[in-house]
Amino acid sequence: MKRDYYEDVELFKSGTILAWSVVLLIFLFTVPIYLPSYNVYLLNVILVNVILAIGLNILVGYTGQISLGHAGFFAIGAYGTSLIMMHLHFPFLVALMIAALIAAFFGFIIGLPALRLEGPYLAIATLGFGLTIMHIIGRWDIFGGRMGITAPPLDLGISDSSLSWVIAGDVKIYYLILIITILLVVGARNLMKTRVGRAFMSIRDDDIAAEVMGVNLTIYKTMAFAVSAFYAGVAGGLYGFVVGFFDPFTFNLILSIIFLVMITVGGLGSIMGAIMGAILITYLQYDLLKNVENLPYLGGLLMTLSRKWFTVIGLANFSSIALGLIMIAIVIFEPLGMFGIWIRIKKYWKTWPF
Amino acid sequence: MKKVVIASMIVCAVFVCSLLVYAAAKPGFDDKEIRIAQWGPQTGPAAPWGSVARGSGLLFQMVNDEGGIHGRKIKYFIRDDQYNPAQTKAVVKELVEREGIFAFVGGVGAACGMAVKDYLAQNKIVWVAPSTAIDEYVFPVNPYIFAIYPLYDDEASILTKYAVEKLKAKKIAFFYQNDTYGKSGLKGCKSRMKALRMKLVEEISVEPGEKDLSSQMLRLKNSGADVVIMWVNPTSAAIALKTCSTIGFKPQWISSDTLSDYPLMNKITGGLWEGVITGMFGLATSSNDPRMIKYREAAKKYAPEERFGTFYTAGAMYAEPLVDALKRVGPKLSTEAFIKQLNATKNFQGIGPLINWSPKVHQGTDSIQITKCGPNSSYITLQDWTKNELATWKKK
Repeated sequence: MKRDYYEDVELFKSGTILAWSVVLLIFLFTVPIYLPSYNVYLLNVILVNVILAIGLNILVGYTGQISLGHAGFFAIGAYGTSLIMMHLHFPFLVALMIAALIAAFFGFIIGLPALRLEGPYLAIATLGFGLTIMHIIGRWDIFGGRMGITAPPLDLGISDSSLSWVIAGDVKIYYLILIITILLVVGARNLMKTRVGRAFMSIRDDDIAAEVMGVNLTIYKTMAFAVSAFYAGVAGGLYGFVVGFFDPFTFNLILSIIFLVMITVGGLGSIMGAIMGAILITYLQYDLLKNVENLPYLGGLLMTLSRKWFTVIGLANFSSIALGLIMIAIVIFEPLGMFGIWIRIKKYWKTWPF
Repeated sequence: MKKVVIASMIVCAVFVCSLLVYAAAKPGFDDKEIRIAQWGPQTGPAAPWGSVARGSGLLFQMVNDEGGIHGRKIKYFIRDDQYNPAQTKAVVKELVEREGIFAFVGGVGAACGMAVKDYLAQNKIVWVAPSTAIDEYVFPVNPYIFAIYPLYDDEASILTKYAVEKLKAKKIAFFYQNDTYGKSGLKGCKSRMKALRMKLVEEISVEPGEKDLSSQMLRLKNSGADVVIMWVNPTSAAIALKTCSTIGFKPQWISSDTLSDYPLMNKITGGLWEGVITGMFGLATSSNDPRMIKYREAAKKYAPEERFGTFYTAGAMYAEPLVDALKRVGPKLSTEAFIKQLNATKNFQGIGPLINWSPKVHQGTDSIQITKCGPNSSYITLQDWTKNELATWKKK
């Protein structure tokens, strides 16, 4: 039973949730000790995608708008952060903030047509934005052109001075990204419990009704785009340093679609869903079946199948097929996405052992 | 209470299990095998280039069938990175740290290679024959990268010389893709023109992905060029040739070796590729060189479904100097000994150009062949291996 409003907006609803969150945090902060470094790299990519998916879910899941151009904001974040650090020698966090704000500004601009566009029309408008950014970056020499750029050393202080504090290696970058991710997750959770979050949701459910109730559509729709783009900008800035080198083609349409897949599979309109979707899809894309030929029995079986029926590419085919099947299966059998599965598991445990 | 106990036990179990998974980077060879790997786009937008990685596998299979190298078999790993540098880094790290890799070979994709170049050097893993020509790989010398892909400016320079001296071209135009690849070609062509005291009549750039090239082609036509050198991707080349045939402009086209897969080019241009002259840095797949015959036979045996195209044989070509150096190292294998033998590679000839590496120069070659597309996509050799005597990097 909730007795007053503040119980509804609390970050931790109960002591159990708080305790579990602490356990999770301890686990996250000690993960690099148990994992070999290539997995830490994978974790970094996952965390970057988690940030982006949360931002995209604020726009798509909570506000009911759509974006096929998030790779564009992602690119602005990546290029912005690296270029500001290279040319202006700002510390990393400052550069990251500026780049994310630039992305947010572009998000605001894209939000303006969104006031009049809906559904497929909005999808096309944002798609155009994503592709335009990719091509503009590719044509401009300051962005390294089509060749791409190497990210500068990740310096938390001021480079080339006594205040320089360079972070190198996957494990250190992991901690940096982890802290930023936690802040952004908590931030998103809080935002959704405030007036702003409720305004977003009322726009999603019915924008006319929302306007009648006094929600200013102009402000809140553009704000949803700006917040979402801000998250994408931060994710992009971090991504640049995780990979170390990127070119415009990295930020192509497929990437925007994969981002949408993450939140759809994870669960629209839930932060937990965005996190789970980002983890699952990134893992499937980066790690699934890469070593399958060494598995006992199954590896040999798949190899034979592949030789008999599939193209010369071999096992890489199965990876794509499995990825597609898993996505389809989740969407068909669990319309709420992985978040739906999570809710069911939670219910099961609440009443366990009955 | 019971639930809490069970849950905390699960957490502990996960912690303990993950401790067991821990493994450090492994050495790349043992008494029985040498582990070699390559990344390549097997799926995704660049999947046609995936045959490079499979081509290297053909050579390793042949080596293993002959008994391996000094008693060790080659274990070869191919990983699909979908032409995405973030994935390249993931698969390379996974291979190096989980499997233990002695050397990488080939590797398609400029951005993919750039993303892992420093990681490989830090882990002292040799990378033989990157599948792209990039100055950053070889200048300044990276002790672990050994390149054999001729630099694009060298190739353009040789082709320009051929156009002027053999084809007696008076008016040359240059048509290039607006990126590093196209601009390196333009640079090489211009430096040759300068040495010959000539000037390009027109230079026109194209953005990859541009679908309508009629204004560019009209400008080329109006320039009155008798030879057009192009440094573009296959799609742009096909659009350019088709546009020119409709406006009735028929210059002698010359292109870089990236468009030297004649059957493919003829397919996408609708037969217009016949008569085009290109650079070649590997022997034609139809060549009667004994090495090529051997590969053709082996491909029939091991990979009958594979198209025996230039990308496929390029994969074998990249692996040749690696196998050669491994053989010379002898039974006492180590990364240092391997690098020493690679550095001592002198006038090595496989199905590619002559390769020379020394501790100071890791760009293995500057020579190409010049061929022409004949009837039925056949390869007609116009000029055998030719060096670029103007190459600036050789003088340093």
